[in-house]
Amino acid sequence: MSIERWLPRGFLALLLVMLAIAGWQWQRGAPLSADLMALVPGATEDALVKRAELRVQEPLNREVLVLVGHAERPQALALAEQLAGQWQASGLFEHVQWSLQTDLGAVREQLLAGRVAMLSAADRTQLRERPAAFIEQRMQSLFDPFAGFSLVPAQDDWLGLTGRIQNSQPKPVNIELDTASGALIAQADGRQWVLLRARTLGTAFDMKLPLLVAELLADARRQAEPQGAQLLAASGLLYAAAGQQQASREITWVGGGATLSILLLLLLAFRRWRALLAFVPVLTGMLFGSVVCVALFGHMHVMTLVLGSSLIGVAVDYPLHYLSKSWSLKPWRSWPAVRLTLPGLSLSLATSCIGYLALAFTPFPALTQIAAFSAAGLIGAYLCAVCLLPALLGQVELKPAQWPLRIAQALTNWRERLLRRVPSAVLLVLVLLFCAAGLWQLDTRNDIRQWVASPPQLQEQAQAVARITGYQPTSQFYLVRGADPEQLFQRLQALSAKLDELRDLGKLKGYLSLSQIVASPEQQAQTRQALAHLSDYWQPLVELGVPQAGLQTQLQQLQTLPPLSVEEALAGPLAEAWRPLWLGQDATGVAAIVSLQGLSDASLLRLQTDGLDGVQLVDRLGELNQLFAATQISAAELKLLSCALILVLLAAPFGLRGSLRIVALPLLAALCSLASLGWLGQPLTLFSLFGLLLVTAISVDYAILMHERIGGAAVSLLGTLLAALTTWLSFGLLALSQTPAVSNFGMAVSLGLIFSFLLAPWAAARETPAVQP
Amino acid sequence: MKRLCALFTLALSLLSPLAQAFSLDDLQRQLSAPAVVKGPFIQEKHLRALPQPLLSKGQFVLAREHGLLWLLQTPLRQDYRIDANGIARRDPSGWQRLPSASAGAEQNRLFFAVLQGDSAGLKRDFELSLSGDATHWQLQLTPRSLLLKQIFTRIDISGGQFVEQIQLSETQGDSTLLRMTDSHGAAALSDTERSDFVD
Repeated sequence: MSIERWLPRGFLALLLVMLAIAGWQWQRGAPLSADLMALVPGATEDALVKRAELRVQEPLNREVLVLVGHAERPQALALAEQLAGQWQASGLFEHVQWSLQTDLGAVREQLLAGRVAMLSAADRTQLRERPAAFIEQRMQSLFDPFAGFSLVPAQDDWLGLTGRIQNSQPKPVNIELDTASGALIAQADGRQWVLLRARTLGTAFDMKLPLLVAELLADARRQAEPQGAQLLAASGLLYAAAGQQQASREITWVGGGATLSILLLLLLAFRRWRALLAFVPVLTGMLFGSVVCVALFGHMHVMTLVLGSSLIGVAVDYPLHYLSKSWSLKPWRSWPAVRLTLPGLSLSLATSCIGYLALAFTPFPALTQIAAFSAAGLIGAYLCAVCLLPALLGQVELKPAQWPLRIAQALTNWRERLLRRVPSAVLLVLVLLFCAAGLWQLDTRNDIRQWVASPPQLQEQAQAVARITGYQPTSQFYLVRGADPEQLFQRLQALSAKLDELRDLGKLKGYLSLSQIVASPEQQAQTRQALAHLSDYWQPLVELGVPQAGLQTQLQQLQTLPPLSVEEALAGPLAEAWRPLWLGQDATGVAAIVSLQGLSDASLLRLQTDGLDGVQLVDRLGELNQLFAATQISAAELKLLSCALILVLLAAPFGLRGSLRIVALPLLAALCSLASLGWLGQPLTLFSLFGLLLVTAISVDYAILMHERIGGAAVSLLGTLLAALTTWLSFGLLALSQTPAVSNFGMAVSLGLIFSFLLAPWAAARETPAVQP
Repeated sequence: MKRLCALFTLALSLLSPLAQAFSLDDLQRQLSAPAVVKGPFIQEKHLRALPQPLLSKGQFVLAREHGLLWLLQTPLRQDYRIDANGIARRDPSGWQRLPSASAGAEQNRLFFAVLQGDSAGLKRDFELSLSGDATHWQLQLTPRSLLLKQIFTRIDISGGQFVEQIQLSETQGDSTLLRMTDSHGAAALSDTERSDFVD
């Protein structure tokens, strides 16, 4: 008796400790994360690749690109200016830019300093190989009224080098500068689109920021639409906001739906308000899960929360185990019922934890997190169900409704009748045939895109923005390394040549590479050398009236112009777009990113640039998709391993034979679910496989329940039915999720549960009642 | 420097009426009356560093319906054509369109604003002030936007029946003077000119 007094108090103390930790964890805001990349394995150990990836992703997570469109340019400009003002005032953004207030003085300075270093490859070649043509072009440009206009006056640059640099800069195709306002404008679909760029203070992984930005945008739309204007926006933040909204919607459905229906089921079955206390272990489980998850990972991903909310259905099984004994145990008292079911409960906890923890050994942080959350949650729920709940139910004498038992009895009878006509062996053959035919039709599909539900309207907008502006960033990029800047630039140039071929074929819209903005030290020296010989060819210029003395002076200046380093070149205003590409110097050398635009076929990239020294294509999504496929195999191995572990665990209480039987049934159930996916035309994804991995663990529980047969076949079946029903209620709801990964997971678990329930009665030998261990 | 030519046609599309005896409207009507205007031009580039301006000469043909032909004859020969599609330069194999996305794109836009009669665009770019009468008028354009102010201080256009002179003063101290003192109107293009526009 004393232990029954001591247990609830000890547990309450533990609960208080957990509550205190939770309070401390949440006091600085919800430790939630929505970063998709936090869910996938850090595929690379290479620090430089990691740094490059962060560099490439950063703008996606911090920048908002908005197109303000109106049929009339002045209205579009006015609206863009108004919006920029409001957004700047919102305090969410580091800067909001709709108008370029270019300081031309700084541009002039950079052009003059970079006359040798920034000359394009084509111009360098002409200067070296056809100096006469170089001079002839300069003559033309001096008199050409249409050559575009040079920022640097002719007398400061008689050779016209700055004009060449200006003209060779790659420019976004569809965007032009509105000289009056300084705004960038694209014209499409009968509208003038003003480009507005905003950079947030935080990132998309900040939980509040994406929603705030999405709200600002919605406000802006409400203002713009009555004026006949249209807003198009593209940003990783908007996807994050949509993801968060969807996650909270789904947590509400899954959590709320499961909670309500389980409470209703408890009331209907046990006809006591006190029976609702069975939900206390569930809440405790959630608390334990989140505390451990935040403690281990520093945060909890929203996807963990969505999947974790399905734990409700599993956690409620513990109290149900002994509550359902009220059909056979008369009178039912809480502590005796607990004592009677404790071995089964403990085994069930052990097998479920093995199942969940098997998920933790996959290389996916997402699953590790879910596994930790679930295992901790189950332990919490178990402890609560064993230590606290019996005390809460101390005075209650359960007199459950008889109808559930009648249903279970009817099912048991029906099964008996079936087995009299068709022996189990024949049924097994039929089931195996069903499995074989289903598996035949099963196809696998793995794509990182299944992990996010991208709302179609966001995708359409992003596509419209890409089409109108011609700005189509791709997630693939190149990382180029060299021992020193010279080698790096040689490699960049080799890569550029290959990429130019792709561009000419129309497979690539464009790319940004440091070699476009500055030449390597050696190339700068070559240019300087070529310039030195130019005096042999410039007579025609002199005849036009260009002073020979001026030419000579400038040539000398050019010779003494200090070589420009990458850092110096990138510091100037013209190099803004290239600045993020430079990764700088580390112990092994120097490195740079080459970013790509408008890629139509990623596999071509690999073909085209394979074998280039020091050039690495970083294609994270492609690698992840491959990794998914590889993980499927290791997941299947894990599944078998976890089954072996459970087999060993169960061999002690049930003997090897019983243990084999209990483990074989869940495996068969998993096989049937796989086959059903095939029959239903649903693909097998990594997530459905994980779902099945989990279902094996849960269904071992049912098999144990049926094997033990406490209170007779019908009562055991009823216990299994209640447990399966509550679990199914929560996982079944996951199948409705809009995130394909979550939905696949829910679908696989739902199917698995149905088959586990159907097969569970075979866990017991038919005639001989099992012996209570 | 394409602005010079832009300004040419600028005068064709001038702008909302001002309360003046001789209004921008009147000027626009007067200048756009002939279908074709042509004549010789002399361009003087005054550079601070040179005692003498850089001189170039040639012929121009401005056709209301087509665009502008700019035929540079001395000190080197080079033909240009500007129309709704952009700027083209003639080489031995024919007209070659110049990339519109070059550094001069912003200037092109200004030019096209002028050519296409985008008066709203021009008025945002410039303060306009007109004086004189139909036989002797002066139009002064002062850039409004910060960006343009960093490039040139003002543009002066003057003329009578046709535009006679355009002077562009750059912020850096250089200036360009374009003189078209012998222009005459025509009812239609000659065959060669027509084929120059159509090819």
